Amino acid sequence: MLCIEARSLSKSYGNVAAVDSIDLSVESGKIFGFLGPNGAGKTTTIKLLTTLIPSSGGTVNILGIDASQDPLAVRKRIGVVLQQPSYEPTLTVEKSLEKYGMMWDVDARTRRRRVEELLSAFDLQDIRKKKNDDISIGQRRRVQVAREFMHDMDLLFLDEPTVGLDPSARRGLLDYIKGKVRDGLTIFFTTHILEEAEYLCDEIAIINRGKIIAVDSPDELKNKFGREKTIKIRVGNVQNISDMLQGAGSYEISCDEGTVITIHSADSEQVLVKILQVLNSNNVTVEDLSVVPTSLEEIFLTVVKNSDTGTLGEP
Amino acid sequence: MHPIFRLVNRNLTISLNMGFVIWQVIFPVIYIFVAGFAYTALIHNVPFGSKNLDYPAFIASGMIGFNIMNSTLISGIIIWNDRRHGMFEQILVGPFTRAQYILSNVYTIGIIGLFSAGLITAIGYPLFFKSVAFNVFTVPLVVFASITGAILFGSIASIISTRLKSSEGFNVIINTVFLFFAFVSTAFYPAQGAPPVLATAFYLNPLTYLVDVVRAGIFGNFTDTVGYEMVVLVAAAVVLFGIATKLLSRLEI
Repeated sequence: MLCIEARSLSKSYGNVAAVDSIDLSVESGKIFGFLGPNGAGKTTTIKLLTTLIPSSGGTVNILGIDASQDPLAVRKRIGVVLQQPSYEPTLTVEKSLEKYGMMWDVDARTRRRRVEELLSAFDLQDIRKKKNDDISIGQRRRVQVAREFMHDMDLLFLDEPTVGLDPSARRGLLDYIKGKVRDGLTIFFTTHILEEAEYLCDEIAIINRGKIIAVDSPDELKNKFGREKTIKIRVGNVQNISDMLQGAGSYEISCDEGTVITIHSADSEQVLVKILQVLNSNNVTVEDLSVVPTSLEEIFLTVVKNSDTGTLGEP
Repeated sequence: MHPIFRLVNRNLTISLNMGFVIWQVIFPVIYIFVAGFAYTALIHNVPFGSKNLDYPAFIASGMIGFNIMNSTLISGIIIWNDRRHGMFEQILVGPFTRAQYILSNVYTIGIIGLFSAGLITAIGYPLFFKSVAFNVFTVPLVVFASITGAILFGSIASIISTRLKSSEGFNVIINTVFLFFAFVSTAFYPAQGAPPVLATAFYLNPLTYLVDVVRAGIFGNFTDTVGYEMVVLVAAAVVLFGIATKLLSRLEI
């Protein structure tokens, strides 16, 4: 079942198309990553999907509800952690959680139980009596994310939820989210930290200049756009290695700890064969050889670069 | 619970802290008991309809309107803080409509206005009890003035909070506007005997109408003029509330 279905969704500000006729389909019970450079249209898309702003064109169905016809019905079934901080400066951490639950009409007993659970899950016990104004930005972000789990929902939008979090808190949050997805929650997730998207997401869409330029699972994106492999060969200290390898193909040489030859191209395997032949014929011993897996970050940079240069679809 | 009442609950929780209540009590107490008795040497009596009020009774009744105005600053502060701390957007992606957000602010300032009026009436009662004429006609007049005045001044504070973008600007404008309202009015001194220009300026100020209606309710002096003042108060409250609502509904996210 589709949790989010957007067709030709657009948002323009004057002549500028912030979101330009995008199509999105997000299945229930999945984590959908939405990536893009700054100003690509991620936050505007989230604002459109959460009914915070009206669209300039297209249709959006959230959980089977036409968002333009009944935005309140949509909002009653979703949770949203916006990119910008939001907090009540005069309330304590635990009061913030409790009041947020009250605003969502959660009964008092459930509120008390969830406050305790979330204070533990988000490591907020030590600061529960502190006012939001008196805690750090990272702690405030944790409260903001934890607060959203005070109410029941079918779909959660997380717009860069880990900004300002330390690595431990970040991993804790990602694991908490994974647990919630196992319980049936669907997540729409944006981030600039691509390892997070790789760790978390079942499917990823990349947006650039208001247009969706790639959608697929992280592995499929790597298969499609990750033809340039990186191979590293360590050979110890060898004199005149540059002269030796002349004409072997495209590579780089660094001499930090021994000599490392790095091959990074679409035909890395052929270059590797040539280099190994040269090394062998010169009696140079290979100490170590490793293939660096293509990261989502490389894919992201490739896809966005291709989109900017108009060579989209050419891996 | 209805969404509006949930938002009112939230508004009252974030606004009513011990500091606010102390400020609500201490500030008027100083005016009533220090300024009231100190100025008695200069202003012995103030003619009010068929009665002759002593100055402490006059200023104590004036402080009810003054405190309603001051307390409804809360409305502007709630909106301002919600915008500044991201809660405006957060509420609007929750199970609420803009209309419910706006109405919750109206209910909040109505409740705070009544609370404030009740508080100052209790504090000032020892000073004006000799002249009080509370009955089934006058008490509703005070309640009417408290709610209408709260909506009127709450709307002004809301309008200012939607137009300004910096904390400094918000504080300067709101303090200047409310200082003008406080001192160019009949809250502290009667219009009779004031220079004509100043007396005219008093009646360009909605606080004067609020204070006059509150006094009419406390001292049982309902006249045609008070009737007209009630009409002006309602008209101004309706217009300003309409403007505030329009600005809030158009507030960009």
